Amino acid sequence: MIASRVSPHRRLNSIIINSFAWLILIALALPAVWIILTAFRSNSEINASPPVWIPREITFEAFGNMFGLNPNLQQRVAVEAYMFNSLFVALSSTVVSVAAGTLAGYAFSRFKFRFHTAAFLMLMLSRTVPGVALSLPLFLLFTRLGWTNSLVGLSFVYVAINIPFAIWLMDGFFRQIPRDLTEAAYIDGCGYWSAFWRVDLPLALPGLATAAIFAFLASWNEFQIVSVLARNNASKTFPPGLFTFTEQFTIDWRGMCAMSVLMMIPAIIFVILTQRNLVRGLTFGAIKG
Amino acid sequence: MRKLTLILLITSLLAVLSFGALVSAQEGEPQYAGLDKDLAGITIKMLTIGGGQYEAMYQSLPIFEEATGATVEIVTLLDGFEIDKKLVQDYATGAVDYDVAWNHTSFMSRYVGFVEPLNNYFSAEELAAFSPSIVEAATIDGNLQLIPRHADISALHYRTDLYNDADIQAKYKEATGADLAVPTTLEEVDMQARFFHDNGYTKYGYSIVGKEEAVTGRFYEFLFGSGGNYFDENWEPIFNNEIGVSVAELLRGWYADGIIAEDTPNLVWDGDAANFCNGDVALKLEWYGWYSYFQTPDSCPNVAGNFGLARGFSGFQNEGARPTGWAGAHAFSITSASQNKEAAAQLIKFLTSERIGYEEAQLGFLPVRDDVWNRIISDASASGVPLDQERLEVARVQITEDFKTPPLIAEWIPFSNLFYPHLQAIMLGDVTAQEGLDAAAAEARQLLADAGYYDE
Amino acid sequence: MLLPSFVFIIIVTGFPLLYSLYVSFTPYELLKPNSLIFELPKALNNYTRLLNDPVFWKSLGNTIIFLTVTVNLEYFLALGLSQLLAQVTRGQAIMRTMLMIPMMFAPILVGFQFRWFFNSNLGLVNNALVSLGIIGEQTRIAWLVDEPLGMICIIIATIWMNLPVMTIILLAGTLSLPQETYEAADVDGASAWQKFRFITLPLLAPFTYIALTIRSLDVARAFDIVRIMTDGGPARRTELIWTYAGRLAIEDTKFGLGSAMSWITVIISVGFTVYLFRQLVKSRIVE
Repeated sequence: MIASRVSPHRRLNSIIINSFAWLILIALALPAVWIILTAFRSNSEINASPPVWIPREITFEAFGNMFGLNPNLQQRVAVEAYMFNSLFVALSSTVVSVAAGTLAGYAFSRFKFRFHTAAFLMLMLSRTVPGVALSLPLFLLFTRLGWTNSLVGLSFVYVAINIPFAIWLMDGFFRQIPRDLTEAAYIDGCGYWSAFWRVDLPLALPGLATAAIFAFLASWNEFQIVSVLARNNASKTFPPGLFTFTEQFTIDWRGMCAMSVLMMIPAIIFVILTQRNLVRGLTFGAIKG
Repeated sequence: MRKLTLILLITSLLAVLSFGALVSAQEGEPQYAGLDKDLAGITIKMLTIGGGQYEAMYQSLPIFEEATGATVEIVTLLDGFEIDKKLVQDYATGAVDYDVAWNHTSFMSRYVGFVEPLNNYFSAEELAAFSPSIVEAATIDGNLQLIPRHADISALHYRTDLYNDADIQAKYKEATGADLAVPTTLEEVDMQARFFHDNGYTKYGYSIVGKEEAVTGRFYEFLFGSGGNYFDENWEPIFNNEIGVSVAELLRGWYADGIIAEDTPNLVWDGDAANFCNGDVALKLEWYGWYSYFQTPDSCPNVAGNFGLARGFSGFQNEGARPTGWAGAHAFSITSASQNKEAAAQLIKFLTSERIGYEEAQLGFLPVRDDVWNRIISDASASGVPLDQERLEVARVQITEDFKTPPLIAEWIPFSNLFYPHLQAIMLGDVTAQEGLDAAAAEARQLLADAGYYDE
Repeated sequence: MLLPSFVFIIIVTGFPLLYSLYVSFTPYELLKPNSLIFELPKALNNYTRLLNDPVFWKSLGNTIIFLTVTVNLEYFLALGLSQLLAQVTRGQAIMRTMLMIPMMFAPILVGFQFRWFFNSNLGLVNNALVSLGIIGEQTRIAWLVDEPLGMICIIIATIWMNLPVMTIILLAGTLSLPQETYEAADVDGASAWQKFRFITLPLLAPFTYIALTIRSLDVARAFDIVRIMTDGGPARRTELIWTYAGRLAIEDTKFGLGSAMSWITVIISVGFTVYLFRQLVKSRIVE
């Protein structure tokens, strides 16, 4: 629609911007590329000095070993369990924390109530304590409640960890939405609830997507808490699973990287699906028309 | 006269007995143990070490299950430091839900009271099968804390391609007036490491870990090798005496002069071993556990087939100097919280039996039983690589004579955590050796005073 | 509407915080169950001890430096990157996904890998520099040891892994800004810089403060990456509050002392967030 108005100057500009963006992203991706390549290298290349930058041969051995396809290795990594547990915990905690966070964020952004600021600050307090300090008291509590080894219990913790983030973000995004829009909806006969559903929530979709991505990845990568609460292999997620590849003295770099590659796949799919909602505020123009 | 006859009689009896033991050990298949009780319906839970070769032994568990009727459940597999963390938390919170737990001679002191004294479950005869040096080291206040599974001890690793090179030998003679021979004292180690580095034969002369319990242990080794120690018999810190200062100054000098790697204070076992593996180091103390890694051309092309092993050198030649030999044994214990202690003991007997020990030794672990030593050394004599057998023979001597655990106090790890940052500061030249060690000694004394070690 | 959120938070963080508050007034050591006793005269022992502990102050100072540098650098990089990405006309979806790749690795793996990259003898960084002739074989850089390189390296690893967080928040914020303001500015003939300076930056302020607050709290909690890369060393050069507190509480089993340290830190963090929160409120009033 505006293509006809684009000047040659603008086109050049956009090529420069696009290539510059690619350049930066590729530079940022280099360490990741190295990690991914390590998963496919032959053993002799991994510790070679000077390092071999571009692999001379590609092997899937590490993946075969992980799935127990190598008859010479007795041990077997519980990848399926890690995958299932990670997905269950990350997805469920994302859905719950984003839902609860959206509700609370809406309340903070739209309504004045007693202890507004105090409540908001309490949320911050809960984000100041790292897993290493939370894990032991939580472990005590969960042992009493019988929640150790439980995926639901773990998910519960992750929900709590992700909620403050979700609330802040949603509060910020709801505040971006012009009040007149919501008020217009009231005039059109919408109640609070349907104004929220029909007007505010769709407009805050980029915020929702952002919150969901970070909640998902935070749960996906969390290590300290799950390593204390999950007491057997069957209830672990990927990050403690990575420690399968550390021995007393050595680290199996290739195995660890291979598992990380496997671990990336669901995360990439989730991000690809979710980031679609990061769209320019199409709606702001819409109301004017 | 009667006395002499008696002595003769006893010695000949002992000779016959030990010969008989030797013969019976060499005869037939190695035996399992702990299969003689009916444990039907009992589930034994176990928390143990995982990763690579450590897990091979757990493949034999079905044999135990079939023979006894018990079910063995491995709760989880973790590496040593992670298990320690978990054990501390579980013992502290009373969340222990396993019968058999991993233990280690370096960590056992802090678990005292949370594991069963094993003298009650193993007969004197059964215990006699294990290396007395380890059993003795693992006995605290008369209570045996653990049954060893396999051991490791630090040995001198040196590059045969350098030591056997005629030109280098001549150059060394010219430079120092001494013959280039495998060193037996820390003075010689210092001289040789500097020689190899200064003349560019290797990038570094020596390599050592530089942080965490690893460096506290390595320093300890140089310290007791030189006739010093961390604590005296009343647990007063004494490592800030002349011996301690001389060892700290040695390390500081090595670091300043590039004899050890630039990032030594951030190296732990993998980075330290990688320097040797890459051929950048002439000699160093290292664990036997690395042997097959160093010998594999695929992983260490520069040193595979080019290194030799020797008993640890002694420290500086003070009174009381002795060979280094920081050692440790992976082991099993029965948790005090266990409801099935007898069954747990049976499982441990099985896992530390001659047969399982032999199978582990075949993977490269050092045995803790005489019968396994005999077998594995006789197997190695058939190997085409002479070092295979030499290694075991040297290791056996070391484990028998040099086996030394860290001080047997529950505060070993907290002590290490306060000590090594000071040692690093000395290495980096932030403080003098005396200042750093004095500060560490004051903190160590405070730590032990808080724990009630002194009558004050 | 707030209830569900607070139920989760109170159970998961409220209990541990109260528990550790209680423990912080006792000499509790993990493997000595009898040491969990509260005695009024000794209640503040852990706190006085910490306030007299030079390592505590050193780790606090390091944490403040680490936090300030990391969060500011992250902010400027993320601001630039988000504005760049907002302008991109083609392949934005792929770019956003690519951008988030560093976050898809577990922090412990990132720690292990960066420790290896910065290894002085065998690591990628030094070997690349040697190959390029920038440093010699004998003048290798001790990245994780020298001061202040060690700190810089853990900052690099932390920023690398977390840059996407701030970038995405700022990008999402930029995308949500009202288009008509820009159109009006176009009509007035404003330059790109003017639009950025006088429209984007002020309108983005609420998002900026949210991102800064969240990241500050997260960076202050930094643990996994640092623990694995340097573990606070050498000689405490990179010791942070939580590497020290974690070691005291769990490895050294001094849970009472570790809890006291947690509480001091929590109070400082809260003070800091209140300050940022005030800024956030102010930025809304401007708006």
